[in-house]
Amino acid sequence: MIIDSNKIQKVIDDSPQDKKQLIMILQNIQLEFHYLPKESIGLVSEYLGMPQSTVYSAATFYKSFSLVPRGENIIKVCKGTACHIKGADLIIDQLYAGIGIKPGQTTKDMKYTIEVVNCVGACAMAPVMIVNDKYFGEVKCNRATKLVKKG
Amino acid sequence: MSDDSNNINLTIDGQQVSVPRGTTVLEAARSIRIDIPTFCWHPKLKPAGSCRICYVEIEKARTLMVSCATDVAPDMVVHTASEKVLQGRKAVLEFMLMNHPLDCPTCDKGGECDLQNLTFKHGVDDSRFDFKKYRHIRDKNSTFDDLRIGSEIIRNQNRCILCYKCVRANKDIFGEQDLGAYQRGNITEINTPPGEQVDSLYSGNLVEICPVGALTNTDWRYKIRVWNTQTVDSVCSYCADGCNLTLWKDKQKIYRATSRRNDNIDEGWICDVGRYGYQVPMAEDRLTTPLIKKGDSQVPATWEEALGLISEKFKKIKDERGGVCIGGLISPNLDSLSLHTFSKFFRMVLNSNNVDFRAGYKMLPEKADDLYSKLTSLPFKISDIEKSDLILVLDSDLTKEHPIVNLRVRKAVTQKNASLFALNPITTQTGGIATDEMVYNIGTLHALLNGLCISLIDQNLTQYENARDLKNKLSPNTIEEASRISGIDVARINSLAKAITEVKNISLIAGELLTSSINREQLSGAIINLCLLAGIFDKGQVGVLSQAANSKGAEKLAVMPHLSERSILKIKQIWDKYPDNDGLALDQMIRSSIKEELDSMFIIGSNLMLEYPDGAVVKEGLEKLDFLVVADICETETTQIADVVLPLSTWVEYDSSFVNLESVEQKFKAAIKPVGFSLPAYQIINKIAQGFKTPLFETIDELIPEIKTLLQPDDSQNSFENCAIEYIEEKQNPEFEIPLLITNELHHFGYFTEKSNSLSNFCSEAFLEISPGLAEKLDVKNGSIIRVESEVGKINLPVKISEYIDNDVVRAYRNFSASPVNILQMRKRNIDRVKLTVVEGT
Ligand code: SF4
Ligand code: SF4
Ligand code: FES
Ligand code: FES
Repeated sequence: MIIDSNKIQKVIDDSPQDKKQLIMILQNIQLEFHYLPKESIGLVSEYLGMPQSTVYSAATFYKSFSLVPRGENIIKVCKGTACHIKGADLIIDQLYAGIGIKPGQTTKDMKYTIEVVNCVGACAMAPVMIVNDKYFGEVKCNRATKLVKKG
Repeated sequence: MSDDSNNINLTIDGQQVSVPRGTTVLEAARSIRIDIPTFCWHPKLKPAGSCRICYVEIEKARTLMVSCATDVAPDMVVHTASEKVLQGRKAVLEFMLMNHPLDCPTCDKGGECDLQNLTFKHGVDDSRFDFKKYRHIRDKNSTFDDLRIGSEIIRNQNRCILCYKCVRANKDIFGEQDLGAYQRGNITEINTPPGEQVDSLYSGNLVEICPVGALTNTDWRYKIRVWNTQTVDSVCSYCADGCNLTLWKDKQKIYRATSRRNDNIDEGWICDVGRYGYQVPMAEDRLTTPLIKKGDSQVPATWEEALGLISEKFKKIKDERGGVCIGGLISPNLDSLSLHTFSKFFRMVLNSNNVDFRAGYKMLPEKADDLYSKLTSLPFKISDIEKSDLILVLDSDLTKEHPIVNLRVRKAVTQKNASLFALNPITTQTGGIATDEMVYNIGTLHALLNGLCISLIDQNLTQYENARDLKNKLSPNTIEEASRISGIDVARINSLAKAITEVKNISLIAGELLTSSINREQLSGAIINLCLLAGIFDKGQVGVLSQAANSKGAEKLAVMPHLSERSILKIKQIWDKYPDNDGLALDQMIRSSIKEELDSMFIIGSNLMLEYPDGAVVKEGLEKLDFLVVADICETETTQIADVVLPLSTWVEYDSSFVNLESVEQKFKAAIKPVGFSLPAYQIINKIAQGFKTPLFETIDELIPEIKTLLQPDDSQNSFENCAIEYIEEKQNPEFEIPLLITNELHHFGYFTEKSNSLSNFCSEAFLEISPGLAEKLDVKNGSIIRVESEVGKINLPVKISEYIDNDVVRAYRNFSASPVNILQMRKRNIDRVKLTVVEGT
């Protein structure tokens, strides 16, 4: 995927030029492109007058940032203790059968990305799956793919 | 038992100890030889407390404490080896080994690894974690997870224990930002940001401080196990800082060099030139036998033949035309024994003062006791830099000239709050941390210094009684005029003047541009004026830093003509006589040779054809000689035209010493035997002297007291008087208008470092640094070829665009034999100027 650096620069330029806002700027970029394109590290570092290593540290430290392109729809499967016991792995297997990708991967048509997350604080309804920002509880594994398509 | 002094009493393992407030428990324990293991602690880094291996039990504390980050407190009772501590330590190790590959058999750190040693000591032989270890995979087809993160550094993340020493040192000590920690938790990795490399001049230190085998050097990897090597104490031969080294060798091969910490000088850091410079003696193409010119070629000969020929020729010249018809040049990279023997041979055997070591200087001084020598003889200590409140750097790109002085300056500024002012014709890396870096118009430093003096006088900031009188001797003599000439705002000059007077301790450091300039005297005078007005002589130190490993030694051992009365006296004292001729400095030798007044030259370890300004003149001079003898370690442009070539041993092949820029003599030991039939310079010289039936020594022990006398510090107080300083604009040929600076490349100090593979990996060819602005004007990009032409020579160089260069200058690098930039320089010009033409099609 080729992303025009001018577009990234535009997002950056619209953000405050303040070192404290590093995370926010990265979030803005991710909002726009669903991930942090490679060039954004250099551009942000220049904009904030911060070493690239610092920007890159922040971008890799937080799980919510992705440095590889992600699909339009983000599917998060919880693998916290409760969900793990209640069969999160089965959901993952089903999704693989249904849309052909494993956690960390994105479909070729750039529609879906699956990610594994830690406890999302809804153990009572384990196993939990989140599609974009919609939570699904007590997911039956054979319905996982359907839920995804619906969500 | 409490105390009112600044000392704190505590008990460690039943022993009473009293240490200054602010000491850590770790340091207190070590002060009474109780050892506590550490990983992330480093004597020169701020504590990080990230590895937890240094746990101790402190009575009344609820948990185990990390001793490296806990300060002592009155009446503390500490246990460093209690059951609880041992358990804690063992647990820490168990966690560290959780994902560790335990690949000691193929790990280069094996045998000197802190993790291996501690595991051994604490017997962690089993793990309760029985899941599959996490592995940072670099290449699925390889067993080794090696990733090259710098030109000479390989990282294996699996072995990393995340002590962050590398990242911390890189940032806090070296000021580099090219290494960071990414991701988090189990999968944290130490790496460069994408697309970057760790290739600062200090990169090798990161490997040295890594406690495990996560960082390894390309030179040492998979070559030898550490327990099969022996260590030898050595000293670096590449610059005047004089870092202490340990060489690791087996038989005739050296495998690596590491720092041998000396807190007065290097504090345990060395630059990569020193670290990989040992590869030069290991070069494949060392000269191994003497060569004698027969017809058009040089053919191998025995020492007897070569020495016989030399003695015969030298004797003939001496008898027929006088010893003064022979000139001698020796490199200041050579050891003290050799420098001294060389001077002794010329002065005692040939009865001539034609000796010199200053191959890199323009227009050498022709009289003794000049201002420059007075300044250079002032005492200067690297460790005192950090006592300064203000550091003034003049005419020096410290990183490229004195990497370790540079680190001390950084330390003073970043850790001790000193302010730094850098006055340079280009932007420098050191200047990046300066309060103000004044980039003046090239060649106008003395005008700028005049401005500073005037500012002190006009603002009434000086206690110097002859201030008014001094002011009349200055030209320019108004601050406005000085500002106009130098291009530095009046306000900035004034605020520097103020800053200088407000502090208690100053280090003034001047570098190579001053030393090699033909304006040396004027610049020295301007510095003296400033020191008198600002009282710097009384409240700090002035260092005009010498360049090569033994330049200071050469100066003190009087390996030059035109000596001061004091030096002559010393020589008479040790040898009872002194030749009654003036002697020729290198400049004059070359000119005399062109005029056919000099018949012969004896050159040791210096590639004059590449080093001395105005290559064409050097060539003419050397070719006109009847008889040229050159001793060197490998073939050079200069050995190629010699009548006799002698194979020279390098400093790792014999015992001797260097005198560093602080005038400290440092001894080093032979690591290997002389390569081939090569010999140390002092032995070669003595063998030639034996041909004259006047050997210079029976055993080298005889030379030691002589050297000692000459190296003794001058206790006679130097008194300084103010000087008239006049800035005269140099006439220029309008056709050549772009000023050219020539300096060391970051990884190449001296014309042989090209022979070190590692150093060539950092940079293998000469280039021309130009500003982004100029690049745009010429429409060139990195790598485009430019023809650089001066009044006396021309050369093609690839371009590198650099933010350190300002619009109106370009910079080229010496020491690359394929691109001898000295042919562009003019001996009598202060500023070399060139014109640039883009070579089409690049
Ligand atoms: S690479 Fe070495 S020095 Fe750096 S964090 Fe890892 S173990 Fe420490
Ligand atoms: S070149 Fe200079 S700074 Fe580098 S290791 Fe050698 S003496 Fe030290
Ligand atoms: S474990 Fe999945 S929500 Fe808590
Ligand atoms: S040495 Fe103390 S925490 Fe690492």
